[in-house]
Amino acid sequence: MTDDLQPDDIRIADKAARQAIEMGVLVLLIVVFFVVSFMRQNPFAEGANPAKAIGIIVAAGLTIIMYSFLYRDNPLFKIVENLYVGVTLGYNVVISWRQFLRPLVYQPLFEPPTAEAFWNSLAHLFVPVILGILLLARISRKHGWVSRYSYALMIGWGAGVAIPLFTNSYILEQLTAAVKPIQEAVGPRGLAAANSWEWALYVAAPMFGAVLAMIGTFTVLFYFFFSVEHKKVGAVISKVGIWFLMVSFGASFGYTVMGRLSLLIGRVQFLLHDWLQIPQQ
Amino acid sequence: MSQIRNLPKHYELARRIIYVLIALAVILPYFFNPKQEFKPAIEVENIYKKIESIKPGGHVLISIDYDPASEAELYPMTLAIMRHCFKKGVIPVVMTPWPASVGIARLGCDEAANDANTMFQKKMVSGKDYVFLGFRPGFSQLILKMVNNLKGSFDKDYYGQPTQGMKALEGVNSLKEIDLLVDIAAVGSVEVWIAYGADKAGIPMAAGTTAVMTPDLYPFYQSNQLMGFLGGLRGAADYEKLLKISGRGERGMLAQSATHVLIILLILGANIRLFFGRFFAGGKGASR
Repeated sequence: MTDDLQPDDIRIADKAARQAIEMGVLVLLIVVFFVVSFMRQNPFAEGANPAKAIGIIVAAGLTIIMYSFLYRDNPLFKIVENLYVGVTLGYNVVISWRQFLRPLVYQPLFEPPTAEAFWNSLAHLFVPVILGILLLARISRKHGWVSRYSYALMIGWGAGVAIPLFTNSYILEQLTAAVKPIQEAVGPRGLAAANSWEWALYVAAPMFGAVLAMIGTFTVLFYFFFSVEHKKVGAVISKVGIWFLMVSFGASFGYTVMGRLSLLIGRVQFLLHDWLQIPQQ
Repeated sequence: MSQIRNLPKHYELARRIIYVLIALAVILPYFFNPKQEFKPAIEVENIYKKIESIKPGGHVLISIDYDPASEAELYPMTLAIMRHCFKKGVIPVVMTPWPASVGIARLGCDEAANDANTMFQKKMVSGKDYVFLGFRPGFSQLILKMVNNLKGSFDKDYYGQPTQGMKALEGVNSLKEIDLLVDIAAVGSVEVWIAYGADKAGIPMAAGTTAVMTPDLYPFYQSNQLMGFLGGLRGAADYEKLLKISGRGERGMLAQSATHVLIILLILGANIRLFFGRFFAGGKGASR
């Protein structure tokens, strides 16, 4: 019999054995999880808060399932992933209804305390509600064009308000901040303090930073400026720009690693202190 | 995932070993003394000093712009700032422009109020010592309206109490009367609050963001549009240290340091392996 086995048969048998082992380990882990959970968070114990205990057990289980992806993609992970998306959407809908749509739109129009209050609400809400409903016309291919009126108003209003504010906050304020150290260095205060430690600390150092930022801005912009061929001096400038970009990417990467680890630390703190109730040092 | 599947088998094993090492580096520090010496950043100290300088009865508007997915990084800093407000007798005015943030914002208010009771022996009452305004949509329009009419933007608080005549909002009719605006965010809302809120109302602003977003804040800090900021879990730990209250941020620092050291060692190890791989292959690329 053994001589008749083909490589495919061996592979299938190996896969089946591996799946059986994985299933066995999974069942064992589930049993261990429930035993540990009920030892540390018994919802039926005297004086226990059942809602809190069950909530912690469910949250701990979902957390562990999410991390099971690190071993391999699996159906449990998929279920929890979809559950997360569904719960988030459902929560947003309920909060929007309870906090905003019901008290500010539904109740003033359909449950007004007086007739005068109704007419007052109608006068204030008629146009916004109609514009909001028009947005839903996007669902229909035939009548989708109606939503353009709402979008036109939104984009027109948004651009009109945003352009002056953003110009001030993102361009003018930033330009002022970039030039200020140089202005201070050549101003009366900077000149009066020349050749002293104070000058080096409070005038020269910020000025150096400002000049460096300007060089960085210019060289990076030049790197993305493709109308001129990057040869000779151009090649040097764009190379400097690449270095500035690399330093920026390095800083972003470092912060990203720190951020992702913080998320892991948060979950570990929850599992150790809230679920397993290991006392905090 | 398909790229990972195409890698040699020992790479797959190495990936899992790295996961185990990271898990150990995060978990083990919690079984030892987690105290670690570190100096708070100047950006964080600025916020602390600003809240210290606000007179009791002053107002700090805290906008909660994150959902539970960023809870690990941003919730500790929310708690730290609110605890500081309660300690100083400053009134935190909490709000959110995102529906998914309502639950975590309410939890933060409740937990900080309870902490004030146990830590500072102060009983905090909603509507008197703090206010949770809840959620309103239309982010940028909402901020613009708040600049001129805060109580008109939120006619009732989260619990249905009218904001007109509310003791916690005495003397506050618009964003201009707020002493400090703090945006705690996991989305790109800080820039919007700067342009539509702080710059327009002419009030000081601080931010608390996830570590991923922190590098984007430096230009605004340099231009004084932000008077300070808290970056990720480290920012929260810095603030807890200044406040002299041990919290989740400070407790997470040893685990974070351990994992950082591990990652540096892994990067060095991988580069050494790559270098020697090339060296022995006669400079023709790394061997697998």
